[in-house]
Amino acid sequence: MRAQPIHQISRKGLTVWRFYGVIQTLVLLIVAGLVSYGTYYFEWPSFIFFIAGAVVVLSAILSIFIFPKIRWERWRYEVREHEIEVQHGLFVVKRTLIPMVRVQHVDTTQGPILKKYDLGNISISTAATVHTIPALVMDEADVLRARISDLARVAEDDV
Amino acid sequence: MSKEINRLHPVSAIITSVKALKSMILPIAIIIISNGFNFSLNFRSEHFFETILLFGVWGVAALLALIGGIIKWRTFVYWFEDGELRVTYGLFVKKKRYIPFERIQSLNYNEGVFHRIFGLVKVQVETAGSKGGKPEVELTAIRKAAADVIELEMRHAKSEAVQQQDQAQVIEEAVSTPMIYHMSMRDLLVLATTSGGIGVVLSGLVAVASQFSDIIPYETVFHELADFVKIGAFLVALTVMVVLIVAWIVSVIITLINYYDYTVRIEEDKLIITKGLLEKKRITLPLNRIQAIRIVENPLRQLTGFATVVVESAGGNGEDGNDKKITLFPLIKKPDCMQTLEQLFPDMNWHPTFIRSPKRARPFFYRIDFIWLVPIIGACSYFFYPYGLLSLLLIPLKILLGIWQHKTAGYQIDGKQLAMQYRVFSRITLIMEKKRIQSIESTQSYFQKRKNVMSIKATVMSGATGTTGSVSSLEQRDAETILTWYEHS
Repeated sequence: MRAQPIHQISRKGLTVWRFYGVIQTLVLLIVAGLVSYGTYYFEWPSFIFFIAGAVVVLSAILSIFIFPKIRWERWRYEVREHEIEVQHGLFVVKRTLIPMVRVQHVDTTQGPILKKYDLGNISISTAATVHTIPALVMDEADVLRARISDLARVAEDDV
Repeated sequence: MSKEINRLHPVSAIITSVKALKSMILPIAIIIISNGFNFSLNFRSEHFFETILLFGVWGVAALLALIGGIIKWRTFVYWFEDGELRVTYGLFVKKKRYIPFERIQSLNYNEGVFHRIFGLVKVQVETAGSKGGKPEVELTAIRKAAADVIELEMRHAKSEAVQQQDQAQVIEEAVSTPMIYHMSMRDLLVLATTSGGIGVVLSGLVAVASQFSDIIPYETVFHELADFVKIGAFLVALTVMVVLIVAWIVSVIITLINYYDYTVRIEEDKLIITKGLLEKKRITLPLNRIQAIRIVENPLRQLTGFATVVVESAGGNGEDGNDKKITLFPLIKKPDCMQTLEQLFPDMNWHPTFIRSPKRARPFFYRIDFIWLVPIIGACSYFFYPYGLLSLLLIPLKILLGIWQHKTAGYQIDGKQLAMQYRVFSRITLIMEKKRIQSIESTQSYFQKRKNVMSIKATVMSGATGTTGSVSSLEQRDAETILTWYEHS
């Protein structure tokens, strides 16, 4: 059994994901509201009310409370001298190995919500794939980016 | 180095304009047909203005295309200087492009029908930076001798950069190019008859038929059809058969024309593929850009011992547009294929013995599909009651397919190389070197974890993005072996 990668992402990342869950639920709430209004206005069968309600409640429970928690606990990464290892997944656990020699460039991005929590995403690009580590504390992300690009520069290989 | 200014052959003006006109034909045809051929040059006719407008616009456009072609031909010049291929063209906006010979990845030759009449060739110059599958420079039509000059200049410049080599020797090398594969007529016929081209032709027929929907008098046809059906289902079946057979024959002919005289040669460190009857194509592919080899055997061909070999290559090369999956051998007998590949890439192991997925992993190959199968079967059975129950047959079929997929799933590590084998329908054997793999990912669902199995995906560079090979549900120990093997590269 391989050991898990050692680092977890920032605790604040969990808060951000919950926030995303709230936004998603609000959008669903608006849709459900419109559907309910339509049901009332056009006198569609009344079970539609219950379905709309159930969808909103389910989404709230899953996307605000359960999924972010599982995802956060799963999310691990480790930057070693020769490779980067990333583990994530909700239902399926995915582990990815990216050798340093394959890294082409590293980006950090930060949207308005992430900025509020002083977080950033870091994307590691190889020639063929992109791997993102989400919600790192911005300073940490900067250090990591510098470190990866430093390590990646050591070995040069074609393509 | 010669500083001669070269021009394109005058025919290139025609080729350029014809190319521009070709893209206008379909819209024009649609307009004409949808008008129901209601055209008239009679001044009193109500269609007079439409006619003038349509043909006027079309005529102007055609004229512009012709002028554009002539201008491009008149202004396009290329020459060789300082180890570079230099091109300028344009009337008002002068465009210049200088490409150092070392940067040229490949020269692709193409001979269309026009070209062959005049003994010309279209040359596409590609570098690694080619964007969106477009060649860096395209010489629409030049004499074959002129094309050889470019190649000679290029070799000359390259060998000069490496070492002061004797030019005569370089030329000699250019002449002797051992052929490594030539498709026999038998293989060509098998390829043509078993290829999936029929689907393309059928959908083409449907598209054409729908274009004519305005002029076909459907009502009359419908009445005729009603009589027709009365005559008997036999005739209907017969017509369908005839249509299918015709479509199949057309697809066979298309394949024959496209793949006629398919030859693979090796020249220094490049693969050269030539093919085509009416339009001769020549593709060069530097060997060091090959990232992985994929051997594809569809069930029918696997049964008869044939395989297709596809090369995954990085960068801006390819037959058409963005498709970077270059077919190396469209159809080849399996033993011949292995032998030829061994000659080409002697460092790699072409006879892998696979470690298969464990027996307890078998249900993972079909169980997940029940999630979408059950609702479909339920719906079919409910809505088409008696016959819908036949959809229940999907379950045993899916299980059989799953067992088949399970039997195929396997991997092998041999030194610096990873071989994967898996199938959806066609059996795919993907062989890649460790240093070419961009990343490896393992996935494990909750249920897989309970059974101690793990899936593995490996991605190599191919074209602008990548190609991923994946083997499902290997023994967890085996999957971890692959991960550990990949570490510390």
